[in-house]
Amino acid sequence: MAATELIASLASPREREATDLGPYDAVCLGSPYCRRVRGNFAEELPRLPETVAGLRAAGKNVYVTSPAAPRGRDLPHVERLIDAVAAAGAQALEVHNMGVLRILREKGNPLPAHMGAFANVYTHLTAQVLREYGVARVRPNAEVSLQEMEILSREGGVEVEVLVHGKIPLGVTERCSLLTEGEEASPSCPSACEETHWLTTRQWVLKTVGKGILSGRDMCMLEHLPRLLSAGFTVFKVEGLHETAAYRSEIGRVYREALDLATSGKPYEIRPEWADVLRRHSREGFCNGYYFGKSGRFYVGAVLQESKPKV
Amino acid sequence: MAELLASGGTPEMVRAVLENGADAVYVGAKGWSRRRAQYEMDDDQIVASASYAREAGKVLRVAFNTLPASREIPLLLAKAEKFLAAGVRDFILTDVGAMAALSRRFPVAQIHASVGCTIVNAQDARFYKEAGASQIVAECRMDREEMRRIKEEAGVGLEVLVHATTCYTLLGRCTMSSYTRQEWRIDGEGKNHFLGSPNRGGLCYRICLTEWDRIAEDGTAEARGVVLPNVAYFLVDDIPALIDLGVDTIKIQGREYSVSLVGEMVRFYRELIDAYVKDRPSFAMEPWKERMAGIVSARDAERREKTAGLISESLTGS
Repeated sequence: MAATELIASLASPREREATDLGPYDAVCLGSPYCRRVRGNFAEELPRLPETVAGLRAAGKNVYVTSPAAPRGRDLPHVERLIDAVAAAGAQALEVHNMGVLRILREKGNPLPAHMGAFANVYTHLTAQVLREYGVARVRPNAEVSLQEMEILSREGGVEVEVLVHGKIPLGVTERCSLLTEGEEASPSCPSACEETHWLTTRQWVLKTVGKGILSGRDMCMLEHLPRLLSAGFTVFKVEGLHETAAYRSEIGRVYREALDLATSGKPYEIRPEWADVLRRHSREGFCNGYYFGKSGRFYVGAVLQESKPKV
Repeated sequence: MAELLASGGTPEMVRAVLENGADAVYVGAKGWSRRRAQYEMDDDQIVASASYAREAGKVLRVAFNTLPASREIPLLLAKAEKFLAAGVRDFILTDVGAMAALSRRFPVAQIHASVGCTIVNAQDARFYKEAGASQIVAECRMDREEMRRIKEEAGVGLEVLVHATTCYTLLGRCTMSSYTRQEWRIDGEGKNHFLGSPNRGGLCYRICLTEWDRIAEDGTAEARGVVLPNVAYFLVDDIPALIDLGVDTIKIQGREYSVSLVGEMVRFYRELIDAYVKDRPSFAMEPWKERMAGIVSARDAERREKTAGLISESLTGS
């Protein structure tokens, strides 16, 4: 079986600190949601060489993200970001916007692109077009089912990154939901999104990180890992942005152990201590419905199915 | 001279918008556009409407602007071939791969990159041109400087929505609706309507428009009745500037509204554009804004009712 890669996302030194990256093979640095996130690795470029070198020395693959929807005024920064990420020795740039991808190609593809969650990749034909722009890996849109992802990977000629755990990125906006006044004037920026905030109404719960809307429930594919592996998927992401260090560390350990077991040839079963860790870190329960053609907030599975009534 | 493009949710609406002065009309092929099936048309209606438009010396564009499944692209190409044979040449798409496939297979097809592409910068516009689009729709809140840059740098037609439904999120980059409710429903032709996904099937439950409570990690309420920032979107004031800028198409959305309201909206924009083009130096906006207020209030009343219905529909499915 091909080697697997478990990736954690980390926005800033604050999120890096106290996170045990031992279970992870790779790290994706930076927040695509907002350029004002404090310490954003995709923004504070002088930080990159040392951070990337340190992670590389620790044996990690290192990727850096880019803004999800940059306006023209942001493109000079994107140009500098690409140069800095390549010079720092990172192995790929995560790209959510086709304009950013085009700039990467104009620069002669100094490093490969990984298309991110907001790139809206749904079909293998799109993956084929993107490959011509230097794309090696694709994170399909959240709505793309596992079956479609298999086609996308096989016929699109790209690696597919599968979100296995964490909040699903559902939307991105330029208007911060945590501020009542302009960003520049607000005393709450950039501290507001360093705390956790939930949006609730009727029977729904979402998580807001200011300019990003995330699922309230945690995507969980722990019990489906053998299926993912037998379908040929090898690249797995834990969304760690705007979570605690304990969340990233402990959930990483669970998935590391689970992947080791699932690739060992021994019978696969969910250990009670794994379930305990995942439940402890999940305020609103689990979901994975999109992968099975259902509402995103639904959970399909037999082992971890019990969840809270709210979503 | 900018083209005025309006919505055709039904054959009646197609006739109404063309009679009221639209230069072009867009319609959705069933299961294939960013509205639910009741505001889309079957193939025969599209072919008949296209013929009506052609006889009037106008253009009908077919929207194939949902993001399909890989296995559905042959269906899209077959449908496009059918429409091309009936004289339709203009299509609106979102999926980059489908766009490339359509332009390769049918070089005569004119492809516009949909609002669902979320084109926010001039490099984006150039990317979609390379994928086969001859015109791109600007993201709803794009400023004029960015538009100017696209006109100057991208070498691609520019379309601007002046009367549209906007979203809290960047339009096309949101799956909040399908997170709460999504059903796969395959029609007789094999097309999945992905009910609940605006990106994939067109039906959006608009849950962002409800009021939310914002809760801190410890469970305390930080704010009650929060409305996610989302203002209605009318660019009436900007129309003279858009025309001066050389925008190629001015678009009015509205397939889900009543035929009479859409007809009235089109007549308004037609007269405004004509008045400005006829005598730019002495054009005054004030009287037009007064007339617009009446249209906005009628539109908002129809929209509020629809939104309430959609939100409760989402709840019944869970």
